[in-house]
Amino acid sequence: MSRFAQFGPKLRQYGASSARMFLYCAIPTACFIHTVFDYAGEITPSYGPSMLPTLNMAGDMLMIERLPGWRKRLRVGDLVAFTTPYDPGRRAVKRLLAEAGDTVCVDPKSKHPAFVLVPKGHVWLQGDNYNNSTDSRVYGPIPLGLLHGRVTWCVWPSPRRISNGADILPGRFSDS
Amino acid sequence: MSWLGQKARQYGATSARLFFYCAIPSACFIHTVFDYAGEITPSYGPSMLPTLNMAGDTLMIERLPGWRSRLRVGDLVAFTTPYDPGRRAVKRLLAEAGDTVCVDPRSKHPAFVQVPKGHVWLQGDNYSNSTDSRVYGPIPLGLLHGRVTWCVWPSPRRIPNGAEIIPGRFSDS
Repeated sequence: MSRFAQFGPKLRQYGASSARMFLYCAIPTACFIHTVFDYAGEITPSYGPSMLPTLNMAGDMLMIERLPGWRKRLRVGDLVAFTTPYDPGRRAVKRLLAEAGDTVCVDPKSKHPAFVLVPKGHVWLQGDNYNNSTDSRVYGPIPLGLLHGRVTWCVWPSPRRISNGADILPGRFSDS
Repeated sequence: MSWLGQKARQYGATSARLFFYCAIPSACFIHTVFDYAGEITPSYGPSMLPTLNMAGDTLMIERLPGWRSRLRVGDLVAFTTPYDPGRRAVKRLLAEAGDTVCVDPRSKHPAFVQVPKGHVWLQGDNYSNSTDSRVYGPIPLGLLHGRVTWCVWPSPRRIPNGAEIIPGRFSDS
């Protein structure tokens, strides 16, 4: 018999049954997977129209990374997953449009546009589908502590890399 | 039990190997327990005097599932500070979503803030020396980490809910 085939009979000699083996393995495995999700990344579904055309309204499976130091590597234009401020049980995915210290013009088309300075430790998140997105234009700048990770890939149904969407044109606007 | 050691060595297990095979699952298990049950964590600073020691207290924080629904005005909560996501703080929950807070009753023109949905108002017990919701505004529930239940060291004591609501004293205005 091969070495692996000897394994089963030897284990049963020591009182290991399939049920016991399952239980002894299930909890450490679940804890291991949970820890990996916390420190490396996870795959999570998303749905809703607020990120059209980037993400599918009917649902996409996104890979979210959170390797240590991911908050420092965030750049304007990244897609981030976060816990919504109005409902801590819900998560959302939006694009990071401004970092701490930036001033955001909330609605340039209104008669009296509001300007918001993003405070320290906060970011401005906005959905790509401006018409149908509840985002920082509604809840204001979002603290970094609510962010969950950076979306890097969409793995299903149409696998594609989710790239940083910012197209920063240098020298176009003066510092005012 | 000594036969276990002999048998293990027959199969090539050394102390080093056993340690490594146990260390990672143990660390993951402890991490998961911390995430879903609670943890023991140090605190320091003057913003919660006299409730918590300025030089440092080791607190037990609970986060059994559903802990957010069980929060009450007067509880001590641990949260991530909005201005610095790498820092945590402990403050008292003084107002829930929908409440209106008077930020400084002694100023000439006191500001009134309504706590929005999904947010809470946290304030340190030591009003003179505390950076809290009076500075950063209402705090989203997503930033909260757990409810402080016990101080385990150096003077073990239960941290009770500190609210004393006096009924019928104020009219609804």
